[in-house]
Amino acid sequence: MVGLAYDCLANPLGAVRSTFEKAIASGSDPASFDGRDWGAVDLFRHFLFEDDGLTQVPILNSATIRWVQPNTLVRFRGMIQDMLGNEFYVGAYKDGSVWRTNKFTDVPQFPMDTSPDMQLWERRMLYCIPVPGQNSWTESPSEAVMYRSMNSATQQREKRQRLDVEATDNMDCNVSDEGVECSPAKKLKEDGHLQSQESITEGTSSSMIMGPDVNRDSLPCLIKIYDCPESDLKLNEVFEFVGVFTFDPEFKVDKDECDDFANGFSEDVLVHFPPNKVPRLHCFIHRKLAVHDFLPRSPTVEPKPNLVKEIREALLRHLTAILGNDGVAAHFMLLHLLSTVYSRVETVAVGKLSLNLTCFSKESVPVFGSPLCLAMKNLLPFTQCISLTVDYLNTASLAPRKDYETNRLITGALQLAEGSHLIFDETHLEAGTLNSVGVENARVLKTLMELQKVEYDFKFYKLDMAADVKMLILSEGKSNILPADIVLPFHPASVGSSEVAAEALEAWRWYLATLRSLPHSIEPEMQKVIENDLVAARQEDRKLGTQDFSRLLTMGRLMSMSFGETSLSLEHWQMVKELERLRKERLK
Amino acid sequence: MASDSTPVDVNNGPSSPDDSFSSPIGNTLSSSPAGASRQRRRRRSTTPSSEFATPRANRSRFSGSETTPTPSRTRRANGQNGAAPTPSSTDGDVPPSSEGGDGYDMDEDRPTFVWGTNISVNDVKVAIVRFLKNFRDESQWNTESEYLTEGKYIEAIKRVIEMEEGSLDVDARNVFDYDSDLYAKMVRYPLEVLAIFDIVLMEMLPVINPLFEKHIQTRIYNLKTSTSMRNLNPSDIERMVSLKGMIIRSSSIIPEIREAIFRCLVCGYYSDPLPVEKGRITEPTICLKEECQARNSMTLVHNRCRFTDKQIVRLQETPDEIPEGGTPHTVSLLMHDKLVDAGKPGDRIEVTGIYRAMTVRVGPTQRTVKSLFKTYIDCLHIKKSDKSRMLAEDQNPVEVDNSVAGHLDEIVFDEKKVEQLKELAKQPDIYDRLTRSLAPNIWELDDVKKGLLCQIFGGNALKLPSGARFRGDINILLVGDPGTSKSQLLQYIHKLAPRGIYTSGRGSSAVGLTAYVAKDPETGETVLESGALVLSDRGICCIDEFDKMSDSARSMLHEVMEQQTVSIAKAGIIASLNARTSVLACANPSGSRYNPRLSVIDNIHLPPTLLSRFDLIYLLLDKADEHTDRRLAKHIVALHFENPETIQQDVLDLATLTAYVGYARKHIHPQLSDEAAEELTRGYVELRRRGNFPGSSKKVITATPRQIESLIRLSEALARIRFSEWVEKHDVVEAFRLLEVAMQQSATDHSTGTIDMDLITTGISASERMRRESLVSAARNIILEKLQLGGPSMRLLELLEELKAQSSGNEVHLNDLRTAITTLASEGFVAFVHGDSVKRI
Repeated sequence: MVGLAYDCLANPLGAVRSTFEKAIASGSDPASFDGRDWGAVDLFRHFLFEDDGLTQVPILNSATIRWVQPNTLVRFRGMIQDMLGNEFYVGAYKDGSVWRTNKFTDVPQFPMDTSPDMQLWERRMLYCIPVPGQNSWTESPSEAVMYRSMNSATQQREKRQRLDVEATDNMDCNVSDEGVECSPAKKLKEDGHLQSQESITEGTSSSMIMGPDVNRDSLPCLIKIYDCPESDLKLNEVFEFVGVFTFDPEFKVDKDECDDFANGFSEDVLVHFPPNKVPRLHCFIHRKLAVHDFLPRSPTVEPKPNLVKEIREALLRHLTAILGNDGVAAHFMLLHLLSTVYSRVETVAVGKLSLNLTCFSKESVPVFGSPLCLAMKNLLPFTQCISLTVDYLNTASLAPRKDYETNRLITGALQLAEGSHLIFDETHLEAGTLNSVGVENARVLKTLMELQKVEYDFKFYKLDMAADVKMLILSEGKSNILPADIVLPFHPASVGSSEVAAEALEAWRWYLATLRSLPHSIEPEMQKVIENDLVAARQEDRKLGTQDFSRLLTMGRLMSMSFGETSLSLEHWQMVKELERLRKERLK
Repeated sequence: MASDSTPVDVNNGPSSPDDSFSSPIGNTLSSSPAGASRQRRRRRSTTPSSEFATPRANRSRFSGSETTPTPSRTRRANGQNGAAPTPSSTDGDVPPSSEGGDGYDMDEDRPTFVWGTNISVNDVKVAIVRFLKNFRDESQWNTESEYLTEGKYIEAIKRVIEMEEGSLDVDARNVFDYDSDLYAKMVRYPLEVLAIFDIVLMEMLPVINPLFEKHIQTRIYNLKTSTSMRNLNPSDIERMVSLKGMIIRSSSIIPEIREAIFRCLVCGYYSDPLPVEKGRITEPTICLKEECQARNSMTLVHNRCRFTDKQIVRLQETPDEIPEGGTPHTVSLLMHDKLVDAGKPGDRIEVTGIYRAMTVRVGPTQRTVKSLFKTYIDCLHIKKSDKSRMLAEDQNPVEVDNSVAGHLDEIVFDEKKVEQLKELAKQPDIYDRLTRSLAPNIWELDDVKKGLLCQIFGGNALKLPSGARFRGDINILLVGDPGTSKSQLLQYIHKLAPRGIYTSGRGSSAVGLTAYVAKDPETGETVLESGALVLSDRGICCIDEFDKMSDSARSMLHEVMEQQTVSIAKAGIIASLNARTSVLACANPSGSRYNPRLSVIDNIHLPPTLLSRFDLIYLLLDKADEHTDRRLAKHIVALHFENPETIQQDVLDLATLTAYVGYARKHIHPQLSDEAAEELTRGYVELRRRGNFPGSSKKVITATPRQIESLIRLSEALARIRFSEWVEKHDVVEAFRLLEVAMQQSATDHSTGTIDMDLITTGISASERMRRESLVSAARNIILEKLQLGGPSMRLLELLEELKAQSSGNEVHLNDLRTAITTLASEGFVAFVHGDSVKRI
């Protein structure tokens, strides 16, 4: 394993081992490591970011898991759904007189005897799931990133002594498959091939480990994080983890044993994640992903005013078409799509702009609602459509809830990543009785709407988690369950459909992802103007309150943002006022 | 450990990983057979060496459960020894009396050490003895001579003997104060030091009371430093830690085998009790009876084995320790014996124990261990978060109820924090600063906020020996136009209040607010369930949409707001529950806007009886004021475009504010100074006098005794805000101001512009009453003029015309007239006929 660097991709553990040995050889005492890194992570960082190895690392998802090799380097993109606490493991131990390490692996690679020199280290476990509502276009063409052929099968075998023969066979055949570029047809064939083989092997071996039995569209992953300050990783944040994909066939046996432990009082949360369902990933490097990281193309263009304006016009046209030539609605929709919570003062979430399109009916929802959903799916990375009915309210679990039986956080429909988009279709809501769950759900929805917070139910207490979710409500009249910032009667003129070119879509995605993170400010003179306007408006209409003012200011900000500008101009402020006037007229 | 009780297969059952789940707290075993004691005693004398001087044995507990001779295991043997010396024992090695603590029978000549350290077992032992014998509390120091009183722990031991308890609680802070070195050793090497503690106790007991046979365990509590669950890391393993948290689950009670007895299936021979060693029991392969010696014939006799209780409890971080964006951590606790069921799920506890780790084996039949460790805490001591203290307070009947004392028990005020708070209280502008810090995102409304501040701090409740009680809680009603941030204020106060319930009047029923009797579905017993008001006892009950509450629900509030109890008489349960709660209610005017021409009562349709129970009633009116509008606009613009952090400065954060309130409510109980009392009287008389207009018979009630109570409460709260034990004159002045501001808004008679308490107490202002009276007399005059006794009747409308003609200046309405006639009718002067006609009788 010496010689030309290390094969970080195919044999990351080898690299870990080498660096460890090197560190020991240079005289470090493992006892002083205390779990800290000895240079392995730097090696990977160098490999991934400076040698541009990141693109070669396969992304672990329900499709790729069928051919990704255990103990190789993979990446996983997902949202932190639950934190499973810390785990103590034997970090360093002596095999005879040689120091070995267990870092980045579940199973010791060398026989581990009980010896007094054992060093206990600590790692964190995170349970990650694919981002809820993630749209297919965000998945980078990982299939195109072909796994390099593994010419060092012997190496692989040495490391995986524990795996049975079938597994090795399986691997070999994979290797042969992987040599070729993968067309969809080919992939299908590969899948079928694998499956048939599974069915054979499954009969023969009980400790069959290949062919993880995963849900086709969502692959959760158990991430083990090393040496990372706690504040780095927060619940519901979206990350990309790069690390060793491992699984341990012997974990499976484990399950039966656990019950004689303390009358079913399960100590080990891992029991609920059998490794054949939930892969493990020992993470070297993680990075937080923002919305624009999901764009297939890396953002190349600086927001040039001309370009931005062009894109804006095109997007507006597109939205107008989808909304049946309702220009006002399209404008509001654009602002709505750009909105994001950018600061919180006390309980107020500044920057949210939820939209309620009224005057929908059961008949018009299929005509306009469905294309709207589709358009959102195409424009934003994480979207969901929920049809709100009494039945749904009464039965759905919206807020996440802690289950102390399993010591897990059970996810709810409202455990969403930052920047998710939700469409609520209220037109199917009919008169009916809400039970206690329903009342609670309605309350949760309202809090999310008003404060951008979701109350997580920890049984003995509730914990507020900040959220940043854009909400669009389609309803007949003004929605009272979901009091949106903007209520706009929807007046379609025609049924329009628009064909969209792929390039245009990409430009729009880029536009929506990039512009919302622009910094924004306001000139003192403009501030004066706005103040005067607000005061005048309030003198005229006493009903205007803080919420209305907030809405106007948010709109102003978003309006100038939509032009790619960083400070509010009088022109844009006038546009906002005009929009608001048009809206008021409709409300009358 | 169910597997242990089945016939034991050496390779299987007892070696399951939970074997090392054995606590250093030995179980209290009854005295062992005397025959065994001699042999054991010999062992004891050698244990120190085997226990502390053998590095291997000690160290290897890290390495795998099957090879885990935890010291605790050995120590348990000690424990049994301790119980052994019976009076009949003739061995004579009852430890010699222990003056100076040097007489302990350390057989070895060479000193023994705790493994891996240079801590001498003997030294520790001496230190412990010295501590137990000589430690005296501060309070004990104050008594004349230290030689007259016994050491705190000697007393405690005697008490333990008297009560026949199984454990001695030792305050770790005492250990620290007496001998910080011993404390350090104890925290660092708890297993070893506690073992020595137990040995010392065991040797001391027979000296004090030779008849006492039980083994006493040491339970350490109140460590100087308390670890956060999040910060437990590998370096804490095998150390004593103290944690706070909330119990979320507890397992059922698990019997753990301590001693096993086997019987030969062939000859029926019963073996001697075999103790658990290293977490397992070795089944004899051969019958021990010489004549029999059958192979593999021994079987476990369940009902002659000895078991102890064991329980596994999961502890979770308290919500305030969870960082933003995190989920709470949990840790397992292992409880034994007395500690079993000491806490229920939902309890907040403080645990002192030893953090331990054990290996996880790959499978029950495999010896390979995983590289993972499971961690748990071996509990030594559990302290519930002071619920008991509050109970104790409640049970004391003659107590002068110090309002909300014991309210915030969960918050422990360490000295540094207290200093900080006191420093804060010394600032001259603390009152304004606190006002600013209260709901800083709601601007203006300064007087309302001041009132709310007083409510949070609260006055002193008083209970006279005669049983009369004066509430210290301040009730506040906010009435106002929609969109004046009433609800936000309520929410904020709810968040800040030490305890409280937030409810909306619209959805609350009477029983939901107070208490109700329910039938337990399983047992059929009637049980009392508390409602919002009872639950917010010693807190603040925030009721939104007060006006939308049903009348029956509202009527329940009468009792609560003045008597501070809820009485229930239903289904065989007659109870009076405490509801010492401040009520903060808010209401919307019945028309969507407040009509300034009508009285408060007409505006919000609340019965005057209830209204008068509010100390302060604030009207939050939305006045068309350009100045405030501009401020609002500025505020919101700043909110959106500036860095939010710079908007508000010089404001206390919520945590400090809560701590401040908590400390004040708990520790500050101000009393009226003479000067303040003087001022109070003077002010009240002054206030009353305002209602007398010189040269007029018109009598306006500007203040009632209720107001003076309110004033006292308010000024007490104001003194509390300053952390002052005395209510000063300026507090009273400020209280008057607050009251006046509130009254001016709500109790001003708009026709005259004066304050009129009758508006609140009866709903009718004095001027209105005067007007009504004059109308009645006018009507009487007309009727006297126009109608004869028994003569024909007269229509009301005609009467109205007459009246209007007579009194040209005043506008008279038909309704007013009707009321006037009704008054006359009740006097028996006239009678209504055909509904609309009046007849004189």
